[in-house]
Amino acid sequence: MSASEGGSRDGSSGLSRRGFLSSLGASAVTVALPVPLPAAPPPPQVVPPGEVTRVVLKINGRAYPVLVEPRWSLVHVLREVLGLTAAKEGCGRGECGACTVLADGEPRYACLTLAVEAEGMEITTLEGLMDGEELGPTQQAFADADGFQCGYCTPGQIMAAEGLLLTNPQPTPEQVRKALSGNLCRCGAYVNIFAAVERAAELRKGAGGDV
Amino acid sequence: MLKNFSYVRATSVDEAVEQLRAAGARVHAGGTDLIGCLRDGVFDAERVVSIGAVKGLEGIREQSGGGLRIGALTRLSEVAASAVVTERYAALARAASEVGTPQLRNQGTLGGNICQHSRCAYYRGPFPCRRKGGASCFAEVGNNETHAIFGGGRCYMVHPSDTAPALMALNASVVVQGPRGTRTVPLDRFFVLPEVDPTRDTVLEQGELVTEVLLPPPGTGLRSSYRKVRARRSWDFALAGVALAVRKDAAGTVSEARVVFSGVAPAPWRSTATERVITGQRLTEDVAQRAAEAAVAEADPMPDNFYKVDLLRGIVAQELAALA
Amino acid sequence: MKRDEPHRYWVEEHELETPEPQQTPEPWDDTRVVGTRRPRVDAYERVSGSARYPSDVILPGMIFGAILRCPHPHARVRSVDVSAAQALPGVRAVISAFTPLSGALSAHEKLIRETLFPALCRYEGEDVAAVAADTPYIARDALRAIVVDYEPLPFVSDERDALAANAPPVRPDGNRVAAPAVYERGSVEAGFAEADAVVEGEYRTECEFHAPLEPHGCVAAWDGDSLTVHESTQGVFPVQNGLAAALGIPLSKVRVIGSYMGGGFGSKLSLGKYTTQAALLAKVSARPVKLFLTREETFLAAGNRPPANMRVKIGAKRDGTLTAIEYEATGTGGAFQAGGTSGLDFIVRDLYTCPNVHSELQDIFINAGPARAMRAPGHPQCAWAVEQTMDLLAGKLGMDPIELRLKNIPTVSQSRGDIPYTTTGLAECLRRGAEAFGWTAARARAKESTGPVRRGVGVAAGMWSSGGGGPPSTAIVKVFADGSVNLNLGASDLGTGTKTVMAMIVAEELWVDPDSIQIEHADTGTTQYASASGGSKTVPTESPAVRAAALEVKSQILALAAAQLGVEAATLELREGKVVTASGAPQEVRLAELRELRRAGVVVGVGYRGPNPQGKAVNPFAAHFCEVQVDTRSGEVEILRFLAVQDSGRVMNRTTYENQVRGGVVMGIGLGTTERRILDRGRTGLLVNRGWVDYRIPTALDVPPVLEVLPVDLHDKECNHTGAKGIGEPATIPTAPAIANAVFHATGVRITGSPITPAKVVDALTAQRRGD
Repeated sequence: MSASEGGSRDGSSGLSRRGFLSSLGASAVTVALPVPLPAAPPPPQVVPPGEVTRVVLKINGRAYPVLVEPRWSLVHVLREVLGLTAAKEGCGRGECGACTVLADGEPRYACLTLAVEAEGMEITTLEGLMDGEELGPTQQAFADADGFQCGYCTPGQIMAAEGLLLTNPQPTPEQVRKALSGNLCRCGAYVNIFAAVERAAELRKGAGGDV
Repeated sequence: MLKNFSYVRATSVDEAVEQLRAAGARVHAGGTDLIGCLRDGVFDAERVVSIGAVKGLEGIREQSGGGLRIGALTRLSEVAASAVVTERYAALARAASEVGTPQLRNQGTLGGNICQHSRCAYYRGPFPCRRKGGASCFAEVGNNETHAIFGGGRCYMVHPSDTAPALMALNASVVVQGPRGTRTVPLDRFFVLPEVDPTRDTVLEQGELVTEVLLPPPGTGLRSSYRKVRARRSWDFALAGVALAVRKDAAGTVSEARVVFSGVAPAPWRSTATERVITGQRLTEDVAQRAAEAAVAEADPMPDNFYKVDLLRGIVAQELAALA
Repeated sequence: MKRDEPHRYWVEEHELETPEPQQTPEPWDDTRVVGTRRPRVDAYERVSGSARYPSDVILPGMIFGAILRCPHPHARVRSVDVSAAQALPGVRAVISAFTPLSGALSAHEKLIRETLFPALCRYEGEDVAAVAADTPYIARDALRAIVVDYEPLPFVSDERDALAANAPPVRPDGNRVAAPAVYERGSVEAGFAEADAVVEGEYRTECEFHAPLEPHGCVAAWDGDSLTVHESTQGVFPVQNGLAAALGIPLSKVRVIGSYMGGGFGSKLSLGKYTTQAALLAKVSARPVKLFLTREETFLAAGNRPPANMRVKIGAKRDGTLTAIEYEATGTGGAFQAGGTSGLDFIVRDLYTCPNVHSELQDIFINAGPARAMRAPGHPQCAWAVEQTMDLLAGKLGMDPIELRLKNIPTVSQSRGDIPYTTTGLAECLRRGAEAFGWTAARARAKESTGPVRRGVGVAAGMWSSGGGGPPSTAIVKVFADGSVNLNLGASDLGTGTKTVMAMIVAEELWVDPDSIQIEHADTGTTQYASASGGSKTVPTESPAVRAAALEVKSQILALAAAQLGVEAATLELREGKVVTASGAPQEVRLAELRELRRAGVVVGVGYRGPNPQGKAVNPFAAHFCEVQVDTRSGEVEILRFLAVQDSGRVMNRTTYENQVRGGVVMGIGLGTTERRILDRGRTGLLVNRGWVDYRIPTALDVPPVLEVLPVDLHDKECNHTGAKGIGEPATIPTAPAIANAVFHATGVRITGSPITPAKVVDALTAQRRGD
């Protein structure tokens, strides 16, 4: 999993910005016009309502140039525009987790993400965990442990688990429960899902931990 | 489904401020609150101004003297996981870890969490309530189990943030940038109560946005905590919560205290009454009990939420005892 | 619903039967595949993302439908102006009862004006208009552009107010759906007179939503006069029937494909208006239409478990023998006759032996969306009241709650003419559960907890009024020329493991790998008639038909082999792709080498579901045990561990069985601790909690980390020849009262109204302290 280009969560890039921010002290004066940073892109274009704009979405390692309306959600674009239907829509407002994808390796709700906002993120969907027709270890673990019933929340559950295991390869049971607490399962397969995540940790360890 | 809006992705704070000056412009940070509101028609946006690509608004930075500056776009998951926040400002780390879900914490920002809109189901639903400019508060005569026991009146919403009460207890301020420049606002003066204006959540003017959160140096002997009680163990807002920041001297006497409640008032609710009881005292069980009584003395519950008085009393005593 | 058959809620218009099976095989003794633990045959599809759910379907030229719904609990539609909506770019079809119906719509005037979009809307969410547009966003824009003139009418939104003299009438004849339904046996007066102890209480359970993760809806596409619908449904055949009738076209012109579906829990048993609307929108626009409800719409209009208000009074002798049960309950199916009190007293009638029972049920109209059957209709509600009352009774008698229940185990179905149960596993569930849970020690240990955080241990029992399944069912098993196998059945797999269990049955009889079996299911175009999957009847209904089909094809194969080998068929057996001699001189032949099989290309076996045993009742039983921790300061209840003990006959697949039982418990935890529909009791009567933040279903942190499942199999050889009884519903019936009893054990306060929230616990503890 490569880091995002705009990756900014490491301490070093934070330090580089300290100067910029501290120059805006509590007494900073109003700046009438935007002052672009030297390396910054040209001033942004306002996309008018109802118009489409071109974005390039990086999904499962591929670049997809797509025309989107600003109001379109990432899950809408994934499913109805690109035909990547593994991510499901259960609520459309961040209340169920069925649309969970990884953005720069972290679980995120694709329904609460405008497609235009996803530009620049490395998006991974359930399809992206496959190696050709082979299941990835987290997927295999969910199959082995019967970590689902109807399966509709499953893509989101697996992505949440994948996101956990990327940063915490050997989670405690409590960490597993907490990491999966943003994904509803109305069939109530939670206990099996916990077992699946534990098994996924084992399988990934066997696979060298880096998948 | 969202209505149409124009969209612009700002590359600097100044640009964002410029774009946000127009009426109907809304700022998009993590999007976790905004998208839901737009989808459900709680309010509309003529223009959505994204600040996600603005450089320099993320990250936790040391200030001289041991304080922290936390960029407004710093995600809640980063705040919760930060070693320095956990060590110096335990209440904030805890509060951030109790927000929503892992996904929402990955996506949602600290600035956004402070500035989020009411989660009152009437406000979020098809009810023309006072907060939306309507004529009445629907909770007042309707179902008010989750509503305010302090500071209500024209609107009985409870402020949904977990981090804001923690930050207020920690005496934090926010840096606000807008068309007229930059100002620093203590959280104590950041929120607007319904008695002043039920349609506003904060003192932010159109075009203004929070760019940073400032935490003063913890100094010595500061302990802080956040306790949240909710009806569901994840993905839920506080029925009641308490953020404590207590400074104790070597003898265990409280020299300074800030006590702020969540889930019980239209804004994070500072309880100076509780602070008065414990300041200058050691946190014995008796003091904790008296403080807990003081905490709820002014409560004005509604038909469905008398329980909040007892609940709050119970957890204030519990949390004070835990800091003893 | 027929009053005397509260359990048959899935029954369609006519009683259906399939032909008598050619032969009724002997029940299994030992099994090789059935009963083992096995991952699902479709696990790969479900975890890879390749499983295609109806909402995943994308067809060429497909557009998106959306429905405009009445924003008032009761209103007359005076006019609908769709001109602005029609003028929006990208809008391709708009239908309402107030717009001219030309072309394809003119034939459906009555359907559209009276059924799909009624001028009198009796609940918030009633359908007013429907649109189809190029994107779902434009479809919603179009809905916002429709101008409707409503005349709001007085409404009543709480069944507890609806029978008052001044309550606004939901229906012209008032708000009683019918006269109270009375059940009576013996004399409760006499029963209470001979009782040594009598306990009484009032209980309420709140209205719940099914809330399956996949919303309700379909993709509808026409090819000439043939309609194909990909529908998220529990039963493709009921949807086909409904659609053909609504549209006035032959069944042969309606194909409904179910395939995968994202949960139903009873809310997807039959046709919804949305599918008929999608079909009409597709007709008008000459495009395939995808129409799935929003989450909010599913809450408003796609069914619910009715609230229940129950008063129960139980009398018993000193030794615990029950002498009388008196029970009154009301419920509401919303503004419709929709089973507001379905199944609401079965537990009272049959769970315990009691000679004197009086029950009265009153179904009430209110201005709210229609109920739909939800996982064990009526039973969890009734169990909430009865099982808490039994707990109280045990306390009053100074008896252990398990002993009290064991004293009253039924062996006959008292409400069905005292016919015997094929098996009554209730006593075994209680005894084995108590042992496995460490009941006695846990109860004693809990009482040692002091301080603000208290522990408690509770138990509750239950039974499901159905679960025996029955006709009709037809299944087909084919053996291809190389010996590989195809299974064809009409039933939907809701995620309960139906496909896997049926493949295991075929594998049991034909000695093939379950994963190698090709399965076609839930498609009216290619599979055999099946009723909707629901009522905990899918396995007991389908498994005997599948087994019969497998045996039928097996006997044909053996006959072919016997001819080829020149031996008697009775001396042959199937083993791992070969026919081998089970007696006499050893011979074998691979299926691929069977000349007649190769010549035919395929051998087809058809199996039917025979009738259930005459004069017997087939029912599953259960007992649930739980340990909780209650923080008396905050009212927070944490479920520390849970044990579900279930008598559902033979376990077909231990893996999917346990998973399904756990799911039932989790749903019961929702009923017991978090879920509640709120209709504004103030000015509006509108739904207040319109999403999953305010309508709380349990999350990963709300379920106990330890959730054990213990099957009790009494080797029921009478229920049917696979020995299986239903499991889906009994697994959720006793959960909530078990939690309530544990909370009582921990705190001494009894929460009589669901859900057990911190608010209720704190209020009850405050009242307890004050001595209220």
